[in-house]
Amino acid sequence: MRYLMTALTTETTPAPDEKLFVEMAAFVEEMTAAGILLATGGLAPQGVRVVSHGDELTVTDGPFTEAREAVAGFALVEVASQEEAIELARRFRRIVGDGESVLQQVFGP
Amino acid sequence: MSGESGARGGKAAAPTPPGAATPPGTEVHTTDVHAAVSAVWRLESARIVAALVRIVRDVGAAEELAQDAMVAALEQWPATGVPNNPAAWLTTIAKRRAVDRIRREQREERKQAELARERDRGEPVQPADEVGEVGDGDAGDESADVLRLLLLTCHPALPPQARIALTLRLLAGLTPDEIARALLLDTTTVTRRIADGKRILAHQRVDFSAAPAAEEVSERIGAALEVVYLVFNEGYAATSGEDLIRPELCLTALRLGRLLARLAPREPEAHALVALMELQASRQAARTGPDGEPVQLHEQNRGRWDPLLIRRGFEAMLRARDLLAGDRPGPPGPYLLQAAIAVCHAQARTDEDTDWTQIAALYQALSHLLPTPVVQLNRAVAVGRAEGPQAGLDLLDSLRLDPTLQDYHLLPSVRADLLQRLGRTTEARSEFRRAAGLTRNDAERAFLLRRAEALSRTEPRGGADAQGGDGSIGRQLGQAADEFLAGTGWGAATRRSYAQTMHRLCAGLGATAPLDEVTADQVARVFRAAWGAAAPATWNRHRATLRSFAAWAGQDALADAVPRRATDAARVAAPTSAPGTLGGGRAPSQAALPREVLRSLLRDPAIPARDRLLWRVLHESGATVTAVLALNVQDVDLPHDRARSGRSFICWRPATTSHVAQLAGGRTSGPLFLSARRPAPARTPADAADLCPQTGRRRLSYERAEYQFKQATRQLDPAGVGFTLRLLRTGR
Repeated sequence: MRYLMTALTTETTPAPDEKLFVEMAAFVEEMTAAGILLATGGLAPQGVRVVSHGDELTVTDGPFTEAREAVAGFALVEVASQEEAIELARRFRRIVGDGESVLQQVFGP
Repeated sequence: MSGESGARGGKAAAPTPPGAATPPGTEVHTTDVHAAVSAVWRLESARIVAALVRIVRDVGAAEELAQDAMVAALEQWPATGVPNNPAAWLTTIAKRRAVDRIRREQREERKQAELARERDRGEPVQPADEVGEVGDGDAGDESADVLRLLLLTCHPALPPQARIALTLRLLAGLTPDEIARALLLDTTTVTRRIADGKRILAHQRVDFSAAPAAEEVSERIGAALEVVYLVFNEGYAATSGEDLIRPELCLTALRLGRLLARLAPREPEAHALVALMELQASRQAARTGPDGEPVQLHEQNRGRWDPLLIRRGFEAMLRARDLLAGDRPGPPGPYLLQAAIAVCHAQARTDEDTDWTQIAALYQALSHLLPTPVVQLNRAVAVGRAEGPQAGLDLLDSLRLDPTLQDYHLLPSVRADLLQRLGRTTEARSEFRRAAGLTRNDAERAFLLRRAEALSRTEPRGGADAQGGDGSIGRQLGQAADEFLAGTGWGAATRRSYAQTMHRLCAGLGATAPLDEVTADQVARVFRAAWGAAAPATWNRHRATLRSFAAWAGQDALADAVPRRATDAARVAAPTSAPGTLGGGRAPSQAALPREVLRSLLRDPAIPARDRLLWRVLHESGATVTAVLALNVQDVDLPHDRARSGRSFICWRPATTSHVAQLAGGRTSGPLFLSARRPAPARTPADAADLCPQTGRRRLSYERAEYQFKQATRQLDPAGVGFTLRLLRTGR
């Protein structure tokens, strides 16, 4: 089963430093080689919002979320159980420090 | 592995020792602890067990220590919460216990030595060296440990089933329960396979101090790849049970395959296997329809193929090809060829776009490396697409004599497809039905029957295609056989024997095959495949039935290609007939045996296990009483839940296998079902094969088996006679 893991920055999330980048790169590399990590990436704080209402389509330029709850990155993982996904999140959070991750099962493709 | 420090926190995140007050890392409910432990275990067991194996130098001991560490986690985590770094916690505990164990063993040895010396000389003993050099094992190369462990669990000295069980247990971190569920076995069987495997491994000489040499890896990796692919296939093409795909098993195999490719990065076949599995797994969602029925490749919705997995498959394929082009030049191996075929499919946007010529060429190359009937079968499919159905059919017909394919459902199913494309609808329909009768998978059986039905709808029964060349309405083989068997004037034994022959003919030719179109050659083919290896008397008995049937049906020529065989006079024994069973006495009741009654009989501890097992096998296999009683211990194929009977198999349900194993006990040959006592000297059987070399008991006779069943069922029979064993097979 697949889970989408999104990482939210909070007020106490530390700014990334060199050590974090090195550890994160190694973690990503290992998880990719193990086939657990299918896709991952960081998200730009700005973006475009597209809202549809009936026939009407509104396009708004961002940023549009409070900085402290913005989604900063995502990872799509292939796991055997929700507990495995939690274990991966645990490792991830150990590298990035304070903050919040949300895990949601992905259906499809 | 470069990712080590990042993934596990390395030395920086030192694990909390057990017993110390650990602040809960996360709010995990105690009920979730079990799941959390097993999740960590699946991700980490390979490394932990591998390190332990290096420390204690014994796979069995390492597994026990690892198990102890898991138990410790299950005991402590509910109170302390899941530690911040659970993997490191488990590793530390396990290694600590390993060191304790070694110290204990060394102390024991010292104590023994001291005692010996004191007794000999009465001198005090110098304290021996401490175990300092054992360390906690961090000095070693972790991936070398895991690779060594993987080569061990796939050791050629192990039977294949033990390799699978041990690999799943030690490298994939599955419990015996989980393995049993995944492979549709019972836990006892799995536990026994693991224990057997560990015992065999204990006797292998293994160098635990150095990383496996490159040549050793190249030599032995084939066995490891095979285990991984077997696991994958068991998940991807579930051979039995209700589900067609067991995704969790596929995931396990994929993980093992990627692990192997990481550990042996210079082996092209390791990458090729990963590519093959990724590409096959990419079709998983499209392979089954809404009701769980299989959807064939050419009908699959390619939009549902998983692009992520396809991309990863291509990447792995490129790595394999790069190795062959550079570092490791050589001809492509079997996994690379199969992966290349999968690539062809993945690259085709529609079924029509598929490069079948290329695929047929790849299968031809593959058939040189893997000259198996199954590869030939696939080649026939590809040739059928590349050069037309007749070319495929020609290739297929050369396979029909292969006894290993006699009961393989894909042969008639592929044939049916080709026949349908040639417009030979009647033959196609009967081949579909034959295939349905042979498959063990419920979803597939339903699917095949539906395809046969669909053909019936387009051309209704008795329509144009059922007519013979001269315009007369053709009769089907199955109908004719039924009418023939319904003939009166035969004793029960004769009818049973006749039914056996006709059943085989119908299974081999398809019950719906028009009788007019059955040829003597086809009949001879069935005879050779079914009874070619049987005793001449058996052959001649079936031949006699065939001749009666042919004469009765007015098609005497049918038996022309089945010659009589010279018999060995010594083997022809006068048939015995015990009073009150088959011969005289009251006729056995023909009333049906209700299912619940049978179930309670099978569980009745007052009845000997041997008899209950016999009834079970008869009931589940539908095989004849004679055939089941004729089984020898060496015919039994526990891993596949079946036993060889002549050229075919008697199959039972997986749950029955452990009972068969119990009955066989430690015996390696002789009859499976034995009488309770040794025979009197005068009743020693003429044929040594009917005597157990270990116990000296003789084969259980039909008469005795029948008697026991009647005794057990007499109370249940309204007529008070008791039921006959044959009800077990027919009352299914």
